[in-house]
Amino acid sequence: MIVNEWCMYCGECAGVCPRALIEVRETSLIFNEEGCKDCGICVSVCPINALDKEE
Amino acid sequence: MKLIETDVLVIGAGPAGSSTAKYAAQNGAKVILMDKKSEIGAPKRCAEGVSKEGLKKLGIEPNSRWVTKELSGVRLVSPNGTDVWLNDDQVKLPEAGYILERKVFDKFMAMDAARAGATIMIKTLARGMRKDNNGYIVSCENMGEDFEIKAKIVVGADGPESRVGRWGGLKTVIKPKNMESGIQFEMAGVEMEDPGCIEFYFGSVAPGGYAWIFPKGDDIANVGLGIVNTVTDKSAYQHLLEFVEKCPATQNAQAVELNIGGDPVGGMVKELVEDNVMIVGDAAGHVNPLTGGGIITALEAGKYAGEVAAQAIKEGDCSKKRLKEYEKICKTEIGDSFHKYFKTKEYMLSLSDEELDSIADAFKDYEFEKISTSELVKLLIKVSPKALLKLGKLF
Repeated sequence: MIVNEWCMYCGECAGVCPRALIEVRETSLIFNEEGCKDCGICVSVCPINALDKEE
Repeated sequence: MKLIETDVLVIGAGPAGSSTAKYAAQNGAKVILMDKKSEIGAPKRCAEGVSKEGLKKLGIEPNSRWVTKELSGVRLVSPNGTDVWLNDDQVKLPEAGYILERKVFDKFMAMDAARAGATIMIKTLARGMRKDNNGYIVSCENMGEDFEIKAKIVVGADGPESRVGRWGGLKTVIKPKNMESGIQFEMAGVEMEDPGCIEFYFGSVAPGGYAWIFPKGDDIANVGLGIVNTVTDKSAYQHLLEFVEKCPATQNAQAVELNIGGDPVGGMVKELVEDNVMIVGDAAGHVNPLTGGGIITALEAGKYAGEVAAQAIKEGDCSKKRLKEYEKICKTEIGDSFHKYFKTKEYMLSLSDEELDSIADAFKDYEFEKISTSELVKLLIKVSPKALLKLGKLF
């Protein structure tokens, strides 16, 4: 997952992740990419489009 | 590795966590209250409105350090600009309230927890937990140092992320359709028709939610909106920019702060406890599904959680069965009313802009005596046959 520089670490993505793979720290996000099934829900809920899937 | 032992570990120091910690400590439990951030209460993810009655019920005295504005009314605005005014000189407003300064208020609540005896750890992150025969061992990190906390009860007050609940086996994941994407500017130079009234804007301005202007004194206000991303292609930010560009009140306003965050509006989570685990606040869905408001319910649920946790510690029984008492109280005091508000929200969101305009027209000439959220819904049922059909049995 690409976390863009303008991410504000609000954690909305973590709340909707069906597999609880996102750790929200004060100024960073850590994705457990191994468990990710690429559902894209985290990307779509972001209020400021700060997440992009890696191609 | 360093291991700290405690009775109750509360993860997250928002209103829910601080209230839980305060009441657990007050009732004799050894409590640690932890927050990952360097400043409790900031950045806010909230429009900062609370009801006076709610604070009073919890015995919290309003303090000039965190009350920015006492409200005198409500203005509801339909898509074509038809507005309905509800002012407290004409109408009783039992839910009238204050606009807070959350970054002061939240610290105040945490300080109360500290004064009751809780230990506070800031800039401390919970990274996971594993079951121990008599509770949980939580892996923590503070300023680069890893350590562990062994707790008989772990309370997840970690907001809409609600990871603690999931670690403890609870189903707290939020469906995208039940997650309101909130976004807000705090602005100066806001020109409101009545800066004592909170304003709500309905319709396609905020698909899946509504837009708001909450005054904070002088020409300052929180200007924001919530949307559900499953019903719009635009981001919350794009919707906010459009709202601010068009709204008459914000033509000369400048933003000094941007706030974002998810608001779980699907109602209360079904199960709030597991063996040695409780969840509270946004993590537990303690948010009114219609209004998206959750400060008072978080504080209230925290009180129940803290009291039950302390009692369970005293009795030496932190099983799911024992902690269920908390879930039962929450259901009666909070969850049951949420069911009605959830239905009302679904109805509101089914209305077109034209339908909203015609309802606003009917409301306009109505003589109100007393207005609360439930009174408003009752009136809605009177003026709209569609509302009667969908909500008549509930209110």
